[in-house]
Amino acid sequence: MGDFISFLSQNLADFWTYTGFANATPGHIIMILIGLVFIYLAIAKEFEPMLLIPIGFGILIGNIPFNMEAGLQVGIYEEGSVLNILYGGVKSGWYPPLIFLGIGAMTDFSALISNPKLLLIGAAAQFGIFGAYMIALAMGFDPMQAAAIGIIGGADGPTAIFLSSKLAPNLMGAIAVSAYSYMALVPVIQPPIMRLLTGKKERLIKMKAPRAVSHTEKVIFPIVGLLLTCFLVPSGLPLLGMLFFGNLLKESGVTRRLAETARGPLIDTITILLGVTVGASTQASEFLTLDSVKIFALGALSFVIATASGVLFVKLFNLFLRKDNKINPLIGNSGVSAVPDSARISQTVGLEYDPTNYLLMHAMGPNVAGVIGSAVAAGILLGFLI
Amino acid sequence: MNNSIRKYIYICMSVFLGLTFASCNSSDSKGESKLVINEVLVNNVANFQDDYGQHSGWIEIFNKSYGSANLAGCYIKVSSQAGDTSSYFIPKGDVLTVVKPRQHTLFWADGQPNRGTFHINCVLDTIGSNWIGLYDSGKKLLDSITVPAKTLGRDMSWARVSDAANEWEAKGKEESSYVTPSTNNQTLDKNVKMDKFQEHDKNGFGMAISAMCVVFSGLIILYILFKNIGKVSIYLSKRNAMKAKGVTCEKEAKEKKLGEAQGEVIAAISMALHELQNGDHDYEETVLTITRVKRSYSPWSSKIYSLRETPNRK
Repeated sequence: MGDFISFLSQNLADFWTYTGFANATPGHIIMILIGLVFIYLAIAKEFEPMLLIPIGFGILIGNIPFNMEAGLQVGIYEEGSVLNILYGGVKSGWYPPLIFLGIGAMTDFSALISNPKLLLIGAAAQFGIFGAYMIALAMGFDPMQAAAIGIIGGADGPTAIFLSSKLAPNLMGAIAVSAYSYMALVPVIQPPIMRLLTGKKERLIKMKAPRAVSHTEKVIFPIVGLLLTCFLVPSGLPLLGMLFFGNLLKESGVTRRLAETARGPLIDTITILLGVTVGASTQASEFLTLDSVKIFALGALSFVIATASGVLFVKLFNLFLRKDNKINPLIGNSGVSAVPDSARISQTVGLEYDPTNYLLMHAMGPNVAGVIGSAVAAGILLGFLI
Repeated sequence: MNNSIRKYIYICMSVFLGLTFASCNSSDSKGESKLVINEVLVNNVANFQDDYGQHSGWIEIFNKSYGSANLAGCYIKVSSQAGDTSSYFIPKGDVLTVVKPRQHTLFWADGQPNRGTFHINCVLDTIGSNWIGLYDSGKKLLDSITVPAKTLGRDMSWARVSDAANEWEAKGKEESSYVTPSTNNQTLDKNVKMDKFQEHDKNGFGMAISAMCVVFSGLIILYILFKNIGKVSIYLSKRNAMKAKGVTCEKEAKEKKLGEAQGEVIAAISMALHELQNGDHDYEETVLTITRVKRSYSPWSSKIYSLRETPNRK
């Protein structure tokens, strides 16, 4: 009987070593708290719930403590585990192009086609990427890591994941979480900068109503856009190719089913997998480092630079435009490609100053130009550094 | 179509085509082989040895592409004298003949093909020159090289300067240039591009300027193109509207704002946005709308065809 009891107690003691309670570290607790904050922000504040819920829950999944030496094959970094297999799409960079396919299939480029000069705002906002790149270099990161961190300023999660998987795979978790977190925090980050950099008169500028865009123009746009951007930056092909392909599916009018799948079930599936695996990749042992803290600081800075450069560029651009053709600088923030959140911010802030001034349609132009711009910028960085 | 629009179209098309053709590189577009002979060692005395512990001459094949390439069914031909060419058929059915992207495979020239797929049926001439050719299964020459006579000493190889490069050199004479069987001819122990940036662009200013220039130039070209496409489109829609309304005078069309979006459309969009902005549905309007749903019959969705009928008991 005594033997049996000692056998049972030995068994229970062994079992205890496998539990999360026995293996928890302060790092795990911190990460679980961060995950809970993400979930809170998504549910209570409705900050990008489609992203923050999967990422937040992913953080919880990735930070359940377990005995790493037991070979349970449950961790995201353990080869052959289910999470590791799902993480393959992030690591090898094939989730982001599929997300871009869906984005292309749901994006209406009409605002941009009707007023193509808005493309330049999308280009100007990319300075956030290169501003952050310079600061990251000054902070001691090497050029490849700095480029991967800088892309956070593009405010484009899939592009950030794609580029960091190629240039700095070891920093990918922190970069992805940082990019998505700040995209969700766009309503908090951007308005103060917009208010700070614009005058009262400028905020009241009413832009000319966009003209109606013909079906032919909408069909030509993805074809010409692809040929032109990819001839210039072939390294952006996976992202730009899928973005414009998705858009052609939408605009051709004859592939409705394919477009609906791309912008519906496909992008939803990939968003779930991407969100949860990116979240799970923040395993405390790999994630809680000084570099991650630096990346978060740089990410915030890059968003600030991108927003400011977009707004300031519009102000500069206005100096060369006719009086009746001026652009409201409040749409400058939407040059960062957080679609459609940053355009929505332009609309909200614009309405605060003039309840009859609807900027959403105009802001969508630089917003989608930002998507193209950040994918081009990612292609340039890849081309320069690999 | 008026002249200015036609001019725009011609300019845009000619700029794009001109740029494309001017930058075409015809020398790169020829159908080059993925597989090349990369390094040859003729006189192996104390160099790399095979699985049998033998020192024999070897031929290294390199897959220069970024996709796998299969050597099965290919031929390696060796000739040390004119008219005396031996041919080795690389057997099919060996998975090891698939060369991974940017990887190497070594063939032992020991004259003993019974030792395995990678042992060819001839030996290399250590005195005279050796011509080696790699052919595909259709006996089309993929690559060939003549290893010069008397240039190479013991355990020296004749190799491309770097993998798949056009220039060849003798390796193994000095310590700095070593023989590299089954591995890169030039060991990359640093990231050249990154080092260049670290050396010349420590603060990242150069990268920022050049990358922003590329981003801007790409989007400026797109802007110019779509500005002109827009002009063409406006012209066409105006022309169609004039045709439909039977207006022939340009002035009249301008007065009637033909081809332009009507104010009502913009008002409707603004109204919809306003509704969306203020449409918090805390209190529903409790208005029921009943619309007749019409479903057209199709045998593809018919339950009669997709469900099994209940068997009849007789």
